[in-house]
Amino acid sequence: MAEARNRAAPAGEPPASGGPEAWYFCLRLLGGRYAFEASLVTEVIRLGPLTRLPAAPAFLPGVFTHRGEVLAVLDVGPLVGRGATPIRPSTRAALVHCGEWKVAVVTDGVEGLVALPARSIEAPPAESAGMAEFLSGVGRDRQGTVAILDLPRMVEAARSRAVPAGSAGP
Amino acid sequence: MTAPDTEVLLFELGARIFAAGVADVLRIGTAADLGPEELVLATSLGAAGGGERAIVVRDGSPAGEAALVVDRVLGFHAVGEGGVQPLPALAAAVLGTRAITGLLQVDDATTLLIDLPTLIRERRAAAAS
Repeated sequence: MAEARNRAAPAGEPPASGGPEAWYFCLRLLGGRYAFEASLVTEVIRLGPLTRLPAAPAFLPGVFTHRGEVLAVLDVGPLVGRGATPIRPSTRAALVHCGEWKVAVVTDGVEGLVALPARSIEAPPAESAGMAEFLSGVGRDRQGTVAILDLPRMVEAARSRAVPAGSAGP
Repeated sequence: MTAPDTEVLLFELGARIFAAGVADVLRIGTAADLGPEELVLATSLGAAGGGERAIVVRDGSPAGEAALVVDRVLGFHAVGEGGVQPLPALAAAVLGTRAITGLLQVDDATTLLIDLPTLIRERRAAAAS
């Protein structure tokens, strides 16, 4: 989290109420406010030219080299049946690292760190469609609702929606 | 002690440049000199745009070998130790092919390293199904 704090200015107002808080890194995706646990977001970068991969699903627009490491880019839109996010030189991505998965998540914008009172975080909606299936909770700060994303769940959905290896056509 | 360089073969297919390990390549020929049953014209990398060159690889088929038709064979390129980066875990998990095994830099361009026998086997399996 310290790394993320150094690289992105906090944007959310600390909650007025007392009690324990947790830090999250807030992004704008598909017109909404979403966040990962702050400790999982190591950096925010501007996406450079991507290397597109043959036989890649639409939610994987490509890979790129960052600090000598090749990273996969994840576009959440096509993963939930929405259109692809246009990738421009100004497009920013959050590098999210969880276990073996390290991905650059394409964003519409970055808010930065927000502190959410632990008691404001509720269970996600029971829906199993759209972004709801990737949520681990829903919190609230002075700017409104923040939906908390679960990266392993997103990756698992991506794997299940991928074209089976070897079956891609020419 | 320095590890010896790995050599890759660079080829152009459908306006993109790819690399393949030279150990997989039996020879480079001309498509017109090979039988049609040996030629693989289209794979998950795309199809050659009127290419005449063919990269012959051992593919485990009854014929023993197959030839991927490409637009151009560009030559060999030495890759130093650590020069091939693995495919990111997410990409490896969701790609529709297992033939892309890594990435390397060639003249400042990120180039995909292709396992040609796997590419051809996948194509044959997809065509048979």
